[in-house]
Amino acid sequence: MDNKIRNGNLYTFLYAAAIVIVVAAILALTAQVLRPRQESNVRTETRLYILRSAGLAGGAYTVKDRNAYVEKEYNRYIKDTAVGPDGLPLFVCTLEDGSKKYIIPLHGTGLWGPIWGYLALDNDFETVYGAVFDHKSETPGLGAEISKEPFSEPFRGKSLYKEGEFVSVSVVKGGKAAGNPNAVDGISGGTITSRAVETMIRECVIKYIPFLKHE
Amino acid sequence: MNKRIFLDPLFKNNPVSVLVLGICSALAVTVKMEPALVMALSVTLVTGFSGLIMSLFRNTVPNRIRIIVQLIVVATLVIVVDQILKAFAYDVSKQLSVFVGLIITNCIIMGRIEAFALGNKPLPAFMDGIGNGLGYGMILVIVSFFRELLGSGTLLGYRIVPQSWYMGNGGFYENNGLMILPPMALIIVGLIIWIFNAGKEWSK
Amino acid sequence: MEQIINIFVKAVFTENMVFAFFLGMCSYLAVSKTVKTASGLGIAVVFVLVITVPVNYLLYKYILSPGALAWLRPEWAATDLSFLSFIVFIAVIAAIVQLVEMVVEKAAPGLYNNLGIFLPLIAVNCAIMGGSLFMQERAYRNVWEVISYSLGSGIGWFLAIVAIAAIREKLGYSNIPKPLRGLGITFIITGLMGIAFMSFMGIQL
Repeated sequence: MDNKIRNGNLYTFLYAAAIVIVVAAILALTAQVLRPRQESNVRTETRLYILRSAGLAGGAYTVKDRNAYVEKEYNRYIKDTAVGPDGLPLFVCTLEDGSKKYIIPLHGTGLWGPIWGYLALDNDFETVYGAVFDHKSETPGLGAEISKEPFSEPFRGKSLYKEGEFVSVSVVKGGKAAGNPNAVDGISGGTITSRAVETMIRECVIKYIPFLKHE
Repeated sequence: MNKRIFLDPLFKNNPVSVLVLGICSALAVTVKMEPALVMALSVTLVTGFSGLIMSLFRNTVPNRIRIIVQLIVVATLVIVVDQILKAFAYDVSKQLSVFVGLIITNCIIMGRIEAFALGNKPLPAFMDGIGNGLGYGMILVIVSFFRELLGSGTLLGYRIVPQSWYMGNGGFYENNGLMILPPMALIIVGLIIWIFNAGKEWSK
Repeated sequence: MEQIINIFVKAVFTENMVFAFFLGMCSYLAVSKTVKTASGLGIAVVFVLVITVPVNYLLYKYILSPGALAWLRPEWAATDLSFLSFIVFIAVIAAIVQLVEMVVEKAAPGLYNNLGIFLPLIAVNCAIMGGSLFMQERAYRNVWEVISYSLGSGIGWFLAIVAIAAIREKLGYSNIPKPLRGLGITFIITGLMGIAFMSFMGIQL
């Protein structure tokens, strides 16, 4: 192409305009086409946390179509999403035997970034039926272990109350939690993250207490 | 001729160890092999196709906006890759997080466009891009292989070090926690460079 | 206020762009042969970060993020333009780097010559783009936190590149095996520095 034309202002301007239009079209098209699938992925992720906190949806990691599986399980067990105090979300899980579990979403700040989780309560609103936690950027091998079963499993059966008082579940160091109905073991080397989990549970659940006690 | 363009960047002119390009992501996403592989694939495709596209444009791009056009082409390709990952490989895309966006500033891509694609025909430009992407990918695979094996005892998620070996289960072994942390990646790449260079000396 | 200082300290030490996230390695390795050029580039990076990250924050908050356009017209609350983030960010960065280049050329021609090609290359320095991308991910609450973050990140990067340049200057007198010289040993040293910086973890103000 003749250099004089190529470096001329009009040509440059038209070229730039053409590129902008083509790029905008490609991107908008891609985003539109893929959006439903992306949103489905995000929704599935949240639903999976909720189901896992009640010990359900164990097959999610091995089925071929996770989105469909989670959708089915979710619709089967989570019958209504009641609204707690101040519009806070609360999920009601109805199991096969008809018993109801109440799932509270948790969110807090870990050492490096946000942490979150879901706590499932029995219908006495005192006993923990299950829990699941996750994080964005906690230290691998240390704080990051909160997302693994060895950390979350011991929450089952623990109690939020001691002699009628709300004490939440503590996360203690040094393996001292044995036999204590209000505590679980923290992660050695992951003290700050463990403490963050304890704070998160207490601060989030306490908002629901007056509401739940009314039920 | 094309074959040499393709093979050169694998060892002789490896973008990471020789040309010192694309270091940033080579280190950050290599904690486990799976994200490293996805990243390598993404970079290879983006480098190849951006080389191809810029080569097609090379005679028509106005000089004044050349760099911006390059940036836009690369950014668009990266956005498309990112959208596809979010839709079809959600778990891995979360692990890669910001580093997908950082492909745009991956020096390998801009470096190859300036050094090769703008002066060559589309097909060789494409091959050069793919070759460099694979050279980069190779380093990623090597680093992540060691980091995952020694740091987590797994490879691609499959357990390699038997559970019974671990101290918690009465054994003698513990994962090398340092491998999971960022600085180790730097040291491993340093060692790889040492080995590659020594290999070059030795083959002379 | 406390949070702002916390963010700043974290950005300089425990979440140092070079040692924790490996951003900006290419220029970090290439321009760290002498302390003088290293500090010149470092200052330029600080400058570019402190301008581009807050600008991108505002763009993201008021135009690109899901529902951001609601302030213009309520019925636009459903639009989500976040898929354009990468392009908008890099365009802003390229424009600002162009501006910085022009300013440096007029105000400090010596530095301009010393930096050479690396000044325009700041535009593709992953540290700059990374700064904006991390800002987007972390959802800071207001523009002061963002400024604190970008200033801290820039200073952290500056510290890193000046430190490695100082070490490399001294390395000239050491007896390093030939295949390890230059790049190899720099990587290993940077890795060791990274381990050292990790000791800042857990500092809470």
